[in-house]
Amino acid sequence: MTTTLIGPNLSFIRRAFLRNKDRSRLRRERRARRQLRENTWRDYAVLSIPYLWMLLFFLLPFLIIFKISLSVTEIAIPPYSPLVTFEEGAMQIILHLENYTSIFYDEDWTYLRSYLKSVEVAGFATLFCLLIGYPIAWALSTCRSTWRNVFFMLVIMPSWTSFVVRIYAWMTILKKNGLINDVLIAMGIIDEPIQLLQTDFAVYIGIVYCYLPYMVLPLFSALMKVDYTLVEAASDLGCRPIRNFFTTLVPQTKNGIVAGAMLVFIPAMGEYVIPELLGGKGSILIGRILWQEFFNNRDWPLASAVSITMLAILVIPIIWFYKIQRREEKA
Amino acid sequence: MIDSNQEAAPTSAPAATTTKSHLPGQLPGQTLSPQQRKRRPILQIKKLTKQFEAFTAVDSVDLTLYEGEIFALLGSSGCGKSTLLRMLAGFETPTSGSILLDGEELIGVPPYKRPVNMMFQSYALFPYMTVKQNIAFGLKQERLPRAEIEERVQKMLRLVHMEDYTERRPFQLSGGQRQRVALARSLAKEPRVLLLDEPMGALDKKLRERMRLELVDIINSVGVTCLMVTHDQEEAMTMADRIAIMDRGEFIQIGGPRELYENPNCRFSAEFIGSVNIFDCTLKSSNKTQSLIQAADFPNDIELAHDIDLADGMPLTIALRPEKIYISKERPQESTNWCEGTVDNIAYLGDISIYYVTLPNKRIVSSTLPNVDRFKVGLPTWDDHVFLSWDPESCIALTF
Repeated sequence: MTTTLIGPNLSFIRRAFLRNKDRSRLRRERRARRQLRENTWRDYAVLSIPYLWMLLFFLLPFLIIFKISLSVTEIAIPPYSPLVTFEEGAMQIILHLENYTSIFYDEDWTYLRSYLKSVEVAGFATLFCLLIGYPIAWALSTCRSTWRNVFFMLVIMPSWTSFVVRIYAWMTILKKNGLINDVLIAMGIIDEPIQLLQTDFAVYIGIVYCYLPYMVLPLFSALMKVDYTLVEAASDLGCRPIRNFFTTLVPQTKNGIVAGAMLVFIPAMGEYVIPELLGGKGSILIGRILWQEFFNNRDWPLASAVSITMLAILVIPIIWFYKIQRREEKA
Repeated sequence: MIDSNQEAAPTSAPAATTTKSHLPGQLPGQTLSPQQRKRRPILQIKKLTKQFEAFTAVDSVDLTLYEGEIFALLGSSGCGKSTLLRMLAGFETPTSGSILLDGEELIGVPPYKRPVNMMFQSYALFPYMTVKQNIAFGLKQERLPRAEIEERVQKMLRLVHMEDYTERRPFQLSGGQRQRVALARSLAKEPRVLLLDEPMGALDKKLRERMRLELVDIINSVGVTCLMVTHDQEEAMTMADRIAIMDRGEFIQIGGPRELYENPNCRFSAEFIGSVNIFDCTLKSSNKTQSLIQAADFPNDIELAHDIDLADGMPLTIALRPEKIYISKERPQESTNWCEGTVDNIAYLGDISIYYVTLPNKRIVSSTLPNVDRFKVGLPTWDDHVFLSWDPESCIALTF
């Protein structure tokens, strides 16, 4: 907190790796506060490992995709035009922006509609995950510790089986002569099997089912830190239960809610397998478009442009949340 | 060698005799019984019991609180005092019994509908709200008009002298300021009974002493009935009109500070409040004006100036407060109420010194002496042979 003047203080890294012998030296150092504020090369060396990882496996591929998105498709290997060409001693850098313009000036609005559809599906799925996940996380955080491990297993264990297998399992449950229809007919509630598979409903079930643990876990860790005397204090001061929940529990677990929502929304946005297997022909989500452009049309540049645009769409809310967070920390 | 609470001894002794100036018409050190004050019972607890599985936290407790009094539940941790308080606030459901507030049953009423408010040990101020919003919180729940909320919040701010801090957040306040905001918040709804859970628990020692009197002043100026829970006997004695000593879910004794100190009704009370020397004795003879008691630890008899309702030859306990034992190098003239020994140790505590005197049978008896007197010539020092004596009225005879 005291180091914001000069920049991030990385001395915690040094302190973590200190031998006992060095601790007394550090104590002397602490007196000279100026020294503490300076980061040594060792601090940077330790920090550079994750940065290097991110650089190699995130930033570099991203730049390659970005580069491809600025070219046009060609029948060649690789199937796109080079960015830089040499012809008769002249270096040419051609930046094709038509991929981006075709996304936004498409007469059918295919891309924009599927972006909107993706945002809608991911948004509602996140909301459903929150509504289902909050009670689960609350039960986990308040139950006895002996039961907690069992419940934890129940939440996490499904993720040990293959993602695709679980979606196939849902297909057999939701299909025309599947479990749900059979049970409903046997109970006499419906006469004809209802269409469950290949609907948005099935897509929501799939997404909520698969991403629920990612919502529950951050909520759980936030709920474990909740100061329940605040809940009691609000109740003591006349606050009714539902209002109490929103005035004491929600603000205290806000970070968990945001983290959980991010962990669900972001992957759900680009989800391909679930809408492909459970969704209908009408629900063209952006993940499907990407697949079609890459593999069916072999239009790598357009597919790259679509994915870059999707990233931009995702980055905006992340930055927005981050800004809010920062503002509240300052206040 | 029964000296129950050695480190508490120096501080508790003066606290016991502290005059309580905050009650008008009350003589120093004298606590009037609530009936004499002709106050109306406000809260009645009847046969209240709380069991947690096999453990009984509160065991069939009866208590009546009178309008305007400050009542303290005093006990060590785990004695059930906090559970009792939480049952009054509505956070715990009693196993059996009843709580009547102004004659109406409170059990079954959820906390948010009870006309009682609590000041939490950790204060439980809402960290994301300003001082003003915290105090207004309870009033907003009642959906009072804005102007009225504003007016009452301002009144509360003035009451606790926090007018200049309205826009601060709790983490920007000191411990004492936080406590005052918490008090203002719990008083804002004008509760019938104010519950204080370890009110000084989160403050350091110096601040505690100041805040005690300040808190009592504020509570009395509002006139609210107050039930507090504390493990600190000094705090209970300075703040409360009446105190209940609690142990294992039961009340051991209820009384004013002076009554509890001077007339404990059992060995537990005597040892709990202040420090005390306990002697196992047998009753030799007893009549209207005089009782003679044989102590096991020294040859001389103990003489009391009143009768003891016990058959001759029966065992009893005599409790003697250290500050009521005189220490001297000269043999007393009387034949009763003294014993002899050697000064084993002297603890210097600033205002007083505690002498630990070993009797011939190795029992250690403690006696305190104000340091104003101690360094006058002729007073005993280490390894001196000394005589301990006391007045007949200083002895407390305890039959159980």
